[in-house]
Amino acid sequence: MSITVENLVKRYGAMTVVHGISFEVGRGEFVSLLGPSGCGKTTTLRCIAGLEDAAGGIIRIGDRIVSAPDQDILIPPHERQVGMVFQSYAIWPHMTVGENVGFPLSIRKVSAADVAKQVDEALGIVGLGPFKDRHPSQLSGGQQQRVALARAIVGRPKVLLFDEPLSNLDAKLREGTRVEIKRLQRKLDVAAVYVTHDQEEALSMSDRVIVMDGGRIEQAGTPKELYRSPVNRFVADFVGRASFIDVVRVEGGAGWRTPSGALIDVDDSSFNGAGTYQAMLRPEGIDIMEDANAGKPGRSLPGTISDSHYLGAYTEYVVDAGGAKVKVHSKRDFDVGSPVMLRFSPENCRLVSSPAGTGK
Amino acid sequence: MSDQTIGLSDVVIGKPASRRTGNTLLKCAYGATFIIVVAMVTIPIAALIYGSFRTAAPGMPAEWTLRNYEGLASPGVIATIGTTLWIGLLSSALCIVIGTAIALLVHRTDFKYGKVVTMLVGLAFYFPSFILAMAWIIIGAPGGIFNAVVDDMLGLSWLRIDIYTTMGIVLVMVLHQVPFVYLTMRGPIMGMDGIYEEAARTAGATPSRVITRITLPLLSYSLISSFILTFIITIEQFAIPALIGIPGQVNMLATQLYLLVRFSPTDYGLAAAIGVALSAMTGAAIWAQRRVSSAGRLTTVTGKASRLKPIPLGRWKWLAYILCFGFGFLALILPMTILIYTSVLKWFTANPFDGLYTIRNYAYIIESASTIRSFWNTLLVSGVGAAAGVLLGLMCAYFTLRLQPRGYRILDFFVSLPFGVPGIVLGLGLLWAYAYLPLPLYGTLALMIIAFVTRFLPYATETIGGQMVQIDKSLEEAAWVNGATPLEGVSKILLPLVRPSVQGAYFLLFMAFFREISSAILLYTASTAVVSISIWSFFEQANWGLASALSVVATLIIFVAMGLISRLVPAARQG
Repeated sequence: MSITVENLVKRYGAMTVVHGISFEVGRGEFVSLLGPSGCGKTTTLRCIAGLEDAAGGIIRIGDRIVSAPDQDILIPPHERQVGMVFQSYAIWPHMTVGENVGFPLSIRKVSAADVAKQVDEALGIVGLGPFKDRHPSQLSGGQQQRVALARAIVGRPKVLLFDEPLSNLDAKLREGTRVEIKRLQRKLDVAAVYVTHDQEEALSMSDRVIVMDGGRIEQAGTPKELYRSPVNRFVADFVGRASFIDVVRVEGGAGWRTPSGALIDVDDSSFNGAGTYQAMLRPEGIDIMEDANAGKPGRSLPGTISDSHYLGAYTEYVVDAGGAKVKVHSKRDFDVGSPVMLRFSPENCRLVSSPAGTGK
Repeated sequence: MSDQTIGLSDVVIGKPASRRTGNTLLKCAYGATFIIVVAMVTIPIAALIYGSFRTAAPGMPAEWTLRNYEGLASPGVIATIGTTLWIGLLSSALCIVIGTAIALLVHRTDFKYGKVVTMLVGLAFYFPSFILAMAWIIIGAPGGIFNAVVDDMLGLSWLRIDIYTTMGIVLVMVLHQVPFVYLTMRGPIMGMDGIYEEAARTAGATPSRVITRITLPLLSYSLISSFILTFIITIEQFAIPALIGIPGQVNMLATQLYLLVRFSPTDYGLAAAIGVALSAMTGAAIWAQRRVSSAGRLTTVTGKASRLKPIPLGRWKWLAYILCFGFGFLALILPMTILIYTSVLKWFTANPFDGLYTIRNYAYIIESASTIRSFWNTLLVSGVGAAAGVLLGLMCAYFTLRLQPRGYRILDFFVSLPFGVPGIVLGLGLLWAYAYLPLPLYGTLALMIIAFVTRFLPYATETIGGQMVQIDKSLEEAAWVNGATPLEGVSKILLPLVRPSVQGAYFLLFMAFFREISSAILLYTASTAVVSISIWSFFEQANWGLASALSVVATLIIFVAMGLISRLVPAARQG
């Protein structure tokens, strides 16, 4: 089953938190909603689940309209047949693991024998078979997480919804669970919507990522498209690390120059005329040269190292160059204060639109 | 940088002398608190137990005996115990159902007038029980307003009611105690993480099944705890069964005790034994409640702010209106109206068009030296007593939760003991005690204050302690490290941080003292009567008009004080 969201609007009182967004999640597709807190991603998910009433727009699960306030349709959550995993797991403390997982079945009047069979199966899938009669308080965070997963998939839901399910786990467990979730979703072959503020999670798990800010979609695309061709500064900054250099168009359209006057070669395929722009540089797409004269015109900028953070596999240097603080990753050692030359190729130096007045 | 460090350690080294004097002061305070609390609690209880083994009234020559306990097994007392349990269980069950339903309606559904209902219930909570009982007697007595309307005016004699029955007591008990259930259940309902209910909704449960399968089971410990507490305050309630039950000859233990002391043939010994039995019942119930609430800690009530979608009431809306506003009407608006009506009548009549109206009852309140004195007595007892109670409660909370010096567990035990002693039993115990003690306390306001402070000390300690445990000890330790003495740590860090709960506790005690009657009823003399006692006396003399006028004034004072203080001290609401 697919999920279709058209012009979804959500208001709290006079405040609009989702401004008419549209997207589609195909059958078997894994889509992440990525954005900072307060961007409307969780609200969108809760509107799909029916935990919030939308104020406008249409939501379809499969062919069925589940939310269309203009037509007075707001199907309650228990009739939407979704599986949902909550941020704090929401394992009911007064039920055993088995009762928790069996709830979606028993509430739909499935016979006790079938419930037992399917619960065993679901617990087997998440590797918690022996824990059926335990109480939630006797489980670790990771195990509770897997109970929540088993409960979400046991009722054969049409779609799976995830609300930051990994944010309460430690880094090691998180990586393992990512793989687990991905595997389950493939196996069930259902549409999945995954809400997260962790870009690494979104990039590694999703078929497509939707970046949101302020209740609007900033950009939607595959992880590679988002990372390599962000349409604006917000997306570039939120997905991966990036530095931005102010650029203005040379009269006549023959290239771009920094405020200090240096011409640089920019991939300006996203240029559409109006607005202010910046050049985006990814820290791994820049080389640092010790020789301050080694640069090629248009593909290099002179600078001074102003700070360094040793991170083991590489060092992140902050370089004052082109009127900005440019982050560069390098395996080589440099001293703070030394003059360097930054080198980059045009495909790693991409023009992004930038709201006027935002700083360096 | 290093210079500074040396400077600081110099300051710390320079402090030990003052730290020692601070410690001495704290030690003295601990000793005084310990002695006062233990004496206040043990003297009446010991005297009560002593009295229960004696053959004659306090102060009279007597012998040791067991016949008082044999008296407990007499058919009369057994029947009273049965009535007490029956009324206690029935009222508590009804209160739990109604109070929880109101709390769920207000906080979990799209019920529109939640704020109004919360206010009504809050006012009803502070509406004194004896005033409520009086109003309902005026309404429901055989010659009361209800019967006059349905029988004499409408001719529907089959609708006649009689308040002087077991069911009459249960009715007024329920009206009086539903606010208590609402207030104890509101916290758990609001603090419950909404995510459990949302998970059930997405798992396919309808709103009503979420309530039965998730919400109520998760609240079960709170429900049982609230049920037991309601049972305790029901069986130790004195005013309602006394006003309604004595004329109807429906006796609960508290009223039987009162009758044995106040009316001949008196039997102080049997009264003491009944007091011991009643305390044993409440004590056992409290023990059970503590067990339940400590077991209930396992359930995760996160208190995380949840933005649950309210459950739509749909066609059940009218039932919700009837329940919430029906309760507000019966528990507050109707009794208040009846009291105001009765207070301005020259002679009582059920028909307002026949009435001769007067303000002489109110004029009498101002003219009569005795009512004016009872007002002053009440203000003195409430104002000074509450201050003493809060000070003592603050000390107890600090010593048992913070400093924990040697023997603090004993102090903790004695502080919580009065929870198990009903007011009238405490009064009887003090009556026994001060007949023997060489202290000129009998017949003074001081004795009244001692009785009230003893009875309500646990409220002060719990209120203040509840906030004190939430304040991390490292905040005080940081002050010590930075050069403050323990005393300065208390005065500069702890006290400012617990101030809201101290104010809340003062408010709570003031209100409790203002309304208190059960522990005062056996202790008052003409010169130490408080307002509650004056109202009681006028009503017993069948002076309904004067009793109503005084009740109206007292209730207005309570409501105005409540409004003022909850506006000035937002934290007081939580009390």
